Amino acid sequence: MSGQTGEKVIFAILGVPMLICILIFLWILSLLLTGIGTVRWELFTMSALRGGMLEMIVGTIYLLLGAAAVAGPIGVLAAIYLVEYAPSGGLTRIIDQAINNLAGVPSIVIGLFGYTFFCRHLGLGVSLAAGWLTLALMMLPIVIRGSEEALRMVPASFREAALALGATRWKAISSTILPAAAPGVVTSVILGMARVAGETAAILFTSCVLITRGLPKTPFEPVMALSYNLFVQIVALGAPAQRVFGITLVLFMIVTSLSLSAILLRSYYRLRQPWLRMKG
Amino acid sequence: MVNDAKVDIRNLNVWFGDNHVLKDVSFKIREKAVTAIMGPSGCGKTTLIRAINRMNELICGCRTSGEVYINGHNIYDGNINVYELRRKVGMVFQKPNPFPKSIYENVAFGPRIHKMANGREIDEIVERSLREAALWDEVKDRLQDSAFNLSGGQQQRLCIARALAVKPEIILMDEPCSALDPAATTKIEALIRRLSKRYTVIIVTHNLQQAARVSDFTAFLYEGRLIEYSDTKSVFENPRSELTKNYIAGKFG
Repeated sequence: MSGQTGEKVIFAILGVPMLICILIFLWILSLLLTGIGTVRWELFTMSALRGGMLEMIVGTIYLLLGAAAVAGPIGVLAAIYLVEYAPSGGLTRIIDQAINNLAGVPSIVIGLFGYTFFCRHLGLGVSLAAGWLTLALMMLPIVIRGSEEALRMVPASFREAALALGATRWKAISSTILPAAAPGVVTSVILGMARVAGETAAILFTSCVLITRGLPKTPFEPVMALSYNLFVQIVALGAPAQRVFGITLVLFMIVTSLSLSAILLRSYYRLRQPWLRMKG
Repeated sequence: MVNDAKVDIRNLNVWFGDNHVLKDVSFKIREKAVTAIMGPSGCGKTTLIRAINRMNELICGCRTSGEVYINGHNIYDGNINVYELRRKVGMVFQKPNPFPKSIYENVAFGPRIHKMANGREIDEIVERSLREAALWDEVKDRLQDSAFNLSGGQQQRLCIARALAVKPEIILMDEPCSALDPAATTKIEALIRRLSKRYTVIIVTHNLQQAARVSDFTAFLYEGRLIEYSDTKSVFENPRSELTKNYIAGKFG
């Protein structure tokens, strides 16, 4: 077999998974296009009490923003510690492994943990706040890993320049390294939100109910969420396909727009940050 | 040979892990003059100047013994404030490394972190530093532009201005022209000559001509040892060591 045919075979083999992805995507797209005509758009802004989806949409957004507000700062600080301060050695390796394990924990287990710890033990009950904390647990590994990568991409020469001017380590990090890494950090938080936007098991016991009277007024009240409602509609209620489709569509749009904005943000800053281009 | 020493290095040894990089280096550096440190790659030049602002210790596995006196104080004493030391001993790196900020903010960075000034006073420091670094006329109308829009030579002068802004006494330069074209190199060399009227400049170079052009004193380092140190003229015209003679003759490098 000549080198050239070998190259072609490899190319074909690598092309197959790509093709599968494209086919799946086209199938989802065709489902969307056929179903989109049946959706009644006024349902989006109508209260759930009257058969609409307003509280689910807003509830999902509340859950996502709150979880990001918890996981963002903790994740970024953890990443700063791991990249800038942690000594290379046993303990750091254990922390590293723990983060990997956290990413691999099934969401139903996270949900059960959230229920036992946040709802029962801390006494938050089934509430928005318990949902934030539980979803934050799922976001953390994504935020930490993404922020770590963003911090490592900042050239060492920025840090050196700041230190050589007499900056303390923290000053060098907060005034030069962190601003330079900020777009990557924000991207990782958005990706984390996209990851948990459709999450059901984690909020199943911790923060969701099927129907509420209006939106929660404090973080200690339960919420409605798209994913949870979708799950109940399909499993228990046997809701009309049209309603299920409406919820799915909104969920799909939220996840897609989060992922898309992460991609756009990243490519925008790649243009503006010359050191990222230099790294190729 | 130098009596009015600004920097007095005594029995300096530096190890990186098991690698003994600097071996018993001792010499005195004259105030308000340019001292060049030359030698082949890997001879410890960079390590030597980074011992003067204690930047070596940021690399893990680094060990230092011996003393470095600046204005009569040993900077390796326990009670030395390393941040204040690095303010007093500025550094310019091999590759221009401006921050991803505006030209103005690059120069203002040091004064801000040391809380040396605020508001209008910072404007004055920025202008004075940029003038001193011979960059003011080229950038005065675009101070808010990103520093990355400057040419390589301009970026390096910006880095010099940034170091000057915190009112240092000593400026360390680690092959400041190695990433620059000849025209930019000429400008920086002229600048170094001018700066030596007010600052003590220590420059690492493996460019012999550059050492001969800009420096008043030259030290020759080889495999971590100080082989020769004298005024530049005698080092180049009348080297005492056979090694120095061969290095200057271009027999190794």
